[in-house]
Amino acid sequence: MTEPVAPGARLPPNRRMDALPPSADRGGPAQPLLRLDGLVKHFPLKGGLLGRTQAVVRAVDGVGFEVRKGETLGIVGESGCGKSTTARLLMRLLDPDSGTMVFDGEAVGGSAQVGGLPLREYRRQVQMVFQDSYASLNPRLPIEDSIAFAPKVHGLGNAEAVRRARDMLAAVGLAPANFARRYPHELSGGQRQRVNIARALALRPRLVILDEPVSALDKSVEAQVLNLLVDLKEEFGLTYVFISHDLNVVQYISDRVLVMYLGEVAEIGPVERIYEHPAHPYTAALLASRPSMDPSRRRTAPPLTGDPPNPVNPPSGCRFRTRCPHAEAVCAERKPIMADLGGGHAASCHIANPGSGHSLAEKVAA
Amino acid sequence: MSLVTLRDLRVTFRTRDRTVHAVNGVDLDLAAGETLCILGESGSGKSVTLRALMRLLPRFAEVQGRVEVAGQDVTRMSEGELTDFRGRDVAMIFQEPMTAMDPVFTIGQQIAETVRRHERVSRAAAEARALELLELVQIPSAKRRLAAYPHELSGGLRQRAMIAVALACRPKLLLADEPTTALDATVQIQVLLLLRDLQKRFNMGVIFVTHDLGVAGEIADRVAVMYAGRVVEEGPVSGLMSGPLHPYAQGLLGATVHPGMRGKRLTTIPGAPPALDREPTACAFAPRCDRAHDACLAEVPSLREPVPGRRARCVLVPDARAESPGLVPAGV
Repeated sequence: MTEPVAPGARLPPNRRMDALPPSADRGGPAQPLLRLDGLVKHFPLKGGLLGRTQAVVRAVDGVGFEVRKGETLGIVGESGCGKSTTARLLMRLLDPDSGTMVFDGEAVGGSAQVGGLPLREYRRQVQMVFQDSYASLNPRLPIEDSIAFAPKVHGLGNAEAVRRARDMLAAVGLAPANFARRYPHELSGGQRQRVNIARALALRPRLVILDEPVSALDKSVEAQVLNLLVDLKEEFGLTYVFISHDLNVVQYISDRVLVMYLGEVAEIGPVERIYEHPAHPYTAALLASRPSMDPSRRRTAPPLTGDPPNPVNPPSGCRFRTRCPHAEAVCAERKPIMADLGGGHAASCHIANPGSGHSLAEKVAA
Repeated sequence: MSLVTLRDLRVTFRTRDRTVHAVNGVDLDLAAGETLCILGESGSGKSVTLRALMRLLPRFAEVQGRVEVAGQDVTRMSEGELTDFRGRDVAMIFQEPMTAMDPVFTIGQQIAETVRRHERVSRAAAEARALELLELVQIPSAKRRLAAYPHELSGGLRQRAMIAVALACRPKLLLADEPTTALDATVQIQVLLLLRDLQKRFNMGVIFVTHDLGVAGEIADRVAVMYAGRVVEEGPVSGLMSGPLHPYAQGLLGATVHPGMRGKRLTTIPGAPPALDREPTACAFAPRCDRAHDACLAEVPSLREPVPGRRARCVLVPDARAESPGLVPAGV
């Protein structure tokens, strides 16, 4: 695809751009595309007569990981584990209470004066696709205009933006001649999700955050959209953060997997290691909870009892200990540190830490 | 005698603006103590079929066909008979317990009310039954939870409480409309195993509507796959999972992501299900089927039975009952 010429002569100088070419790589392939450190986001719960803060939801409580260039990082966890809050922090739809975000070597949220990457530029390079394909499109705009909106905001002329919108529709498999002027309610769920993907890609981002992108779709349509995501990643050289509660889908699409529990990282590693040799008891239980499609191998006992605890009042020490089959005194006393298991595999569990004082950890060390 | 008999069930929704032929001739049987999963995607008519068994459809729905549950003709019941029938002979659990339960009454009150509506027992006896039921569905500290309102419970506990209300009068038939779809993975498997256990213990008939093949694999004895308002394949769960007969069922299995598919391209079913503003007069799946030919468009294929107990509505499937010419079976 040839890059159109900038028509931005009538735009104020600060909005004139070279027709939005894809942003260039800066730090080379080995530098992580995105690095998060100690990210914290608490939501106050107000109440009572004076509207004072009664409690705090610790939605994301000290999360750190990196997203490597060209990979798909899957994030899994149950409701309330903070995966969607993490997605919104990554997109900067929410501001973190503390913690740092570095995008290809530049601190996110800087300005021309202090250095770093201004949010406006960051958001051009990082885009998001949401679960609810209908709620995330303007019902009063033809889909072509929805897709062209962001490129226009970023300085592309009207005709160029519409042309790009049509190119993107074609790229996601919706013939522009048939679809460009339709409204969201005239499309099926699968088609709307394609439009959302087209809109996310219209700014030529480098990182796309996919928050449960196929969870609301029927299985036959889910497979179509997953195939499309694989193709687009190749075609546009993208990096994905793929958030889902569906462990099979995450295994299918991810290179590395991050498991979250109650606002913290429980385990992270290459997809084969996580699925074949999970080191955290929570990961193991989550995997064992998948229904089996083979009726001769039905589950006989549930791996875990009870629901995940409320993130308002998480357990002391290890947050999984209240549901963990291996919990011991040490798990209540001390928060486990991330144990490096080699090969990029790490787990936040006392059992994985030799010398942590857990009876099973001693055996690992021996 | 079978617990449920459906013959040529047809449901049409007619409003001023549009008509939808949601169910177009469904025959199903369920034996006492059997679990049947109705598997299908959105718009396949699975939930409408389930609701027709309890006459829970809106007034503008036109329902035709025979619907019998526990020897009673559901289509001819009066309002009074229906109220007795619901909750006593048949009960239903839903995907979202928060909307299915009354938010201003406690869990205990809602169970006791159901018991007293159908049985002549004292308030104290009904409350004792409520406690027993909460223990039965494994709600921890059941005694305290009797006084809890639905919003005070977590998602998993709320779903257990709804099961307790449904089982209050020991129904012969339990209808379940995607009851585990909204639950977390570790909670879903708990509720599935609980339902399996309760079904065995009370020898209930269960019809379980789901779009999830894994759920069907965990809980079903038999599976009926629905497409565009018709059952296109029916048979024991093991046969369907290891070798589906109907091209749609094959496509669905191929499109479902399961372990070991990494790096492979997913099989997809091209296109989308038909709009049901008119009743399909041929195989409704033919426009999406890569093996469709003239015979598929001539008429609605009959149900064929290649092996006893397994049926499929596809002209490619041979019928062992009638001596039909040996067309190539679709992936048997």
